[in-house]
Amino acid sequence: MFASIEQTIAQLRDQQYLCDRKLATVAFLALQMRKPILIEGPAGVGKTELAKAVAAALERRLIRLQCYGGLDEAHALYEWEYGKQLLYTQILRDKISRLFEGVSDLHEAVAQLHLHEDVFFSEHFMVRRPILQAISSPDPVVLLIDELDRAEEQFEAFLLEVLSDFQVTVPELGTVKAATIPYVIITSNNTRDLSDALKRRCLHLFIGYPDEQQELDILRMKVPALRETLAAQVVAVIRRLRALDLRKAPSISETLDWAQALVLLNADALTPMLLEETLHLLIKYERDTQQVNDQLSWIGEPLQMQRPPVIPSAIETSLHPPARPAELDVNYLEQRRQEHTARYFTSYRGRTDGRTGG
Amino acid sequence: MIMDAVINRFIFLLKSWGARISPAESLDALQALAWVTLHDRDTVRTVLRSTLIKDLHDLPAFEELFEQFFSLSKWSPAPESVAEPLSQNKTAPESLETVAEQDIAGGRPDSDNAHEDALDIRDYFDDAQMVTHFNSHQDANDLRLAEFSQNLVLSRNRDLLDQVMQKAMQLLKVRRVKNVGRVGELNFSEAIAALDADVIADAVADLLDELSDLDVDENLIKQLSGWLDGNIANLPELLKRHLERELALQPPPQVPERPRRATHDYRFSEKERREMTEIVQRLCRRMRGARSYRRHISPHGRISVSLTLRRNMKYEGIPFQPVMTHYRDEKPQLAVICDVSLSVRNTARFMLHLVYNLQSLFGQVRSFAFVSDLVEVSTYFEQLNIDEAITTVFNGSLLDTDVDSNYGYALMCFHNRYLAAVTRQTTVIILGDGRGNRNPPQAWVLEEIRRRAKQLIWLSPEPRGSWKMGSCDMPLYEPICHQTEVVRSLQQLGRVAEDLLRRSVTQH
Repeated sequence: MFASIEQTIAQLRDQQYLCDRKLATVAFLALQMRKPILIEGPAGVGKTELAKAVAAALERRLIRLQCYGGLDEAHALYEWEYGKQLLYTQILRDKISRLFEGVSDLHEAVAQLHLHEDVFFSEHFMVRRPILQAISSPDPVVLLIDELDRAEEQFEAFLLEVLSDFQVTVPELGTVKAATIPYVIITSNNTRDLSDALKRRCLHLFIGYPDEQQELDILRMKVPALRETLAAQVVAVIRRLRALDLRKAPSISETLDWAQALVLLNADALTPMLLEETLHLLIKYERDTQQVNDQLSWIGEPLQMQRPPVIPSAIETSLHPPARPAELDVNYLEQRRQEHTARYFTSYRGRTDGRTGG
Repeated sequence: MIMDAVINRFIFLLKSWGARISPAESLDALQALAWVTLHDRDTVRTVLRSTLIKDLHDLPAFEELFEQFFSLSKWSPAPESVAEPLSQNKTAPESLETVAEQDIAGGRPDSDNAHEDALDIRDYFDDAQMVTHFNSHQDANDLRLAEFSQNLVLSRNRDLLDQVMQKAMQLLKVRRVKNVGRVGELNFSEAIAALDADVIADAVADLLDELSDLDVDENLIKQLSGWLDGNIANLPELLKRHLERELALQPPPQVPERPRRATHDYRFSEKERREMTEIVQRLCRRMRGARSYRRHISPHGRISVSLTLRRNMKYEGIPFQPVMTHYRDEKPQLAVICDVSLSVRNTARFMLHLVYNLQSLFGQVRSFAFVSDLVEVSTYFEQLNIDEAITTVFNGSLLDTDVDSNYGYALMCFHNRYLAAVTRQTTVIILGDGRGNRNPPQAWVLEEIRRRAKQLIWLSPEPRGSWKMGSCDMPLYEPICHQTEVVRSLQQLGRVAEDLLRRSVTQH
């Protein structure tokens, strides 16, 4: 139970999750106000991890609903187990026919059958999907609705009932009210705007990249085998990488992967060569690789210093990579190259004289 | 209760700065504040931000306003220059305020910084709760009470304040204005100094009446009345500072960055935005709702009798394994090609707005702008806000907007570079008037696009009648497109959107 903001921070820290006061405040409020949290932010900054940490800290079960395009109620809420229903009717065929022993005509038979209809549409034949699980659980749970922006807008509308009233309507069974209020965490990578109606029902939280000190702390906590100097170097390099205009800037998860890799490689310190060799762990796109290679000497700068100075987190120094020289020529040629290849591959038999028709 | 008033005022101002906040969210904010201690400015900031601000676009406004609204430090210690002449005519020399000022200046010089930081929001709320045991910390709380009461009185009784101001202004009108201040600023020095004592006395009496109606602690009223009686001369100063602060809380005038070329004002009114968003959302919904014709076997959907029978032959026809088929949802992709040349400048603004909205709603929208050369602008529309994006397109930094439009060349560019973007799921929308200035129209490119795309739609701002006049290539382009429509306004767009989609659904 989170009793105060300080305690929230401490309890999450016990679960190996370092967070700032901002995040803790929202996490604390969500529990007290029984409101869902909507977390937005770039990939890999610990949105999903927060849900896991909260579940562990509160000693609740974590139920996860991963969203994707085409997600519907059958996957999110419940589904009738059709096969099982059929199987049971077959097995119970004798029992069912015995029902009709004293029945004279068809009307009576239907009436008789009607009495037992709900046997097959009972909870025995229902597959509970994450949301129904979360709502009907006797112990409170943590419900993580991951990457909601991947699902369609209709699905959002469907969530509204769940999020504000904590109830769902199953046509055959009626409205299922929550036995316990789940702690709901919704994450979004911001690939599209979520609807206002949904946002209104949530506490909103934006998680960005951590500052230097915090990232260092996270690194120490998650990769304890990493040497102190190496950790500082890793963080310094990562910060420089983020300052570049990359398509996918490395986030905390990449930092941790990289650190883990460096530990496995038994590295004592980060050398420019090691940096170059392991860079593909951090860079996910061809275009980014190109850019990073161009700026490699600048990125490697902190490695030259014996002990990289830890910048006090209060003063955020802005990092700017040096301007690239002769950018224009490269771009121009690049552009021409694409044009040429495009022409080469699409050798269209069309007219170039501007006329149309036969 | 008092906290409610202050927060409500804050929300009201936030709305006037352009943030969209619903009553439900305001209630959430108040509810949430009850759960945290109000001593920590950052906590309060986080609470308000997470409950009120759901859109990152609104964040800067929030931060700015929070700074201004919840910082009394800027407001409370009177500027020396103003305070001095006033202290000379002061009827009662020992005002709470001066005591407090001395307290800051002389009493605790070392804790000065900390005090500044601590001033802000704590003063609003704690005092509200601490009023009853006010006496225990007489000195330390003097300043806070003074500020708090000022704020309370002035925030709660804006009507009254207006009345006082009106009277002051009337007096001002009677006298001749000797010194006209700068435009847009209130000139207080004359007006307030000339406030007659009886005007103020009346106002103060009214104020106290008003206050006793409110459910405020009696102690506070006593305190206030004592303070007001002794400090009538201070009221003008108080009013002045209050109004100054009100001025500071007004939404900042929007100063557009200077573009590379002089451009028109491309800002959109809130109403325009809303209407456009609605239409595009409707469009989007209809497109999403459009199902493709083919049914696919999937775990969900309806039971297909024939397939089920066939599969369950091995069970003697007992359907243990039902086979379901499902209409596969199609994901429409959009490619929008927009003419931004001078001839369609007025409608291009509107068209780009449409593009922007499409882009924010559909997953896969690629947008292109051209005059003669054609460039992809998807990223700008994804990353910038609408005003910035449109300014970027028009100010000539991406493509030369001063040349004559050349549809043939632009289409060729599209064909050479981006034809891969057009697939069987793609709906291509071209926005433009089709006036290529007698350049080769290259209509075969359009044919090629039509061949590859699911649908090719041309939206022209020009009425059909004038297509035959001048160097317009529309008659050439029109038969190639699946659809050509004339769209000049939001209403027309709404109609066309409905129409288009109805047809695209029934086409299958």
